[in-house]
Amino acid sequence: MSARLRASAWGRAAARVASRGAEALLVAWLLASLVFLAMRLLPGDPAALVLGEQAGEVERALFRQKLGLDRPLFLQYLSFGRGLLTLDLGDSLRRPGVPAFEVVAEALGPTAALAGLGVGLGAVIGIGGAVLSVGPWLGARRAWVHRGAIALAALPLVAVAPLATWGLAVRLRLVPLPGDPDAGLWGLLFASSLLALPLGAVLARIGRAALLDLGRAQFLDVAAAKGARPARIYWLHALPVASAPIAAVVATQLGALLGGAVVLERLFERPGLGTVMLEAYAARDLPVLEAAVVASGLLFVLAQTSATAIVAFVDPRGGEA
Amino acid sequence: MSERARRLLAVVPLVLVALASSAFVLVSDRSPSRLELERAWAHPSAAYPLGSGEAGVDLLALVSHATARALLLAGIVALIGLLVGTPLGALAGLVRGRAERITARACDLVQAFPSFLLALAVLAAVRTPSRVHIGAVFCLTAWAPFARLALVQARVLADAQFVDAARAIGASRARVVLRHVLPNLFGPVAVQLGASAAGVVLGETALGFVGLGPRDGVSLGALLEQGVVSMLRAPHVLAVGAVAVVLVSASLQLASEGLRAAFAHR
Repeated sequence: MSARLRASAWGRAAARVASRGAEALLVAWLLASLVFLAMRLLPGDPAALVLGEQAGEVERALFRQKLGLDRPLFLQYLSFGRGLLTLDLGDSLRRPGVPAFEVVAEALGPTAALAGLGVGLGAVIGIGGAVLSVGPWLGARRAWVHRGAIALAALPLVAVAPLATWGLAVRLRLVPLPGDPDAGLWGLLFASSLLALPLGAVLARIGRAALLDLGRAQFLDVAAAKGARPARIYWLHALPVASAPIAAVVATQLGALLGGAVVLERLFERPGLGTVMLEAYAARDLPVLEAAVVASGLLFVLAQTSATAIVAFVDPRGGEA
Repeated sequence: MSERARRLLAVVPLVLVALASSAFVLVSDRSPSRLELERAWAHPSAAYPLGSGEAGVDLLALVSHATARALLLAGIVALIGLLVGTPLGALAGLVRGRAERITARACDLVQAFPSFLLALAVLAAVRTPSRVHIGAVFCLTAWAPFARLALVQARVLADAQFVDAARAIGASRARVVLRHVLPNLFGPVAVQLGASAAGVVLGETALGFVGLGPRDGVSLGALLEQGVVSMLRAPHVLAVGAVAVVLVSASLQLASEGLRAAFAHR
């Protein structure tokens, strides 16, 4: 490839990432607007929701004034937008004096650890499974790796995670019980491996298809003709090329990953974004709920954009990834 | 038995699950709202084949009602998705150009977006979430996979010879779309119904599990939650809930795969 051709391919990849970045911002703004409008336009008085139906009219009016709900809608929207840009949506209603974004920021760490470890483990499981189900090591048994991945991908996390917890924590006592405050690293590892299994199963399937596609590529024949062993061919030659579809799959699974993290945080009573959102929802802590939903939406689109960036730079040929 | 008939056998488990749960709901006088406090967390017995759960609710009644309602909700949402998404995707696929690219990107985004966040944003505005609200949340995203499929299919059909022929004899654009493109679209797009319905069942279960389900507690997610709470003293509750969720979602996926295999490649 000539230098100029390469440069233009990279330029296209960069342009694609930039347009996805702009799109990510648009999505985050749409989500924020949806949250804003849902709280204000749908039937139901936030003041009555928070204070209870029996609260007096004066109390409710004071509450509305405190949250600025008595002002015209578009003024509220402006200050909501300013609040998002300056990361200041007001104080938590449940923990007065603590800014809503601080509550959310405290919860980011545990969720990031859970989801990050889940993606890492899922990638290891998925890529290992894909290579095993294509490579020559298992012989005829490699079909079982593929079938196992299909079965695993079809199993719902919300049913399997409690069952696995019952088996491993209650019966076998191998992992900490849900809600154990001393669960520590072992508990985190167990939770994120539950999160990793469905992702790994999907990755193993897609990775297998990508590797099988590549099996007909000439450069692999060249490597084999030069005397490379199968392991070298797969790990060194095929996998880097197959990593673009793999990253694209991770991007499509990020939403499911967030939902899974919320379920697991609830199951294991772990602190995190999901727990903050559910608690804020139950207590009608509107500023925290708004901040948490917008922050996790933003995180989601950022993660998706970076996955797109990886795809674009691994495979700068362009096209719809 | 022909190849296609054998593939269609894959819908049998789904039909059995749907028939069994709805027959129980219609015929039996056991109700998930009748509580017998002295039977709380009781293990299975002859009179109560699945045992009892929180506050002595009859698990057989609870799981039947929850399954029937989950299937009904999933079916309605998937149908709405089909009816909204197919024309949208078909139109985008026929118009091509910028409209097509935007629709395709919107579908990708909506399909990948965490439905949990949308659910929180919408449900935050209501005091007590009901099944209608939860269905509305899923309808916000249900159209996307159908539109995506219809878009791809419409591009193929737009170049098909019989569509060209219809244009050549002077059929109007609307007539081409309604008479020739849409009818040939529905088969390949409808196989997505099962997968979408399975997604709704699991989404509703997850929402119910984390406490965003209908307040009457008759949902598979609430059943699983009961099972987790009583994991130590009454593991049968968890077993009933998990088996029910796996059964419903697996039978939907199986039916969807069977239909796809029987009809998709013609």
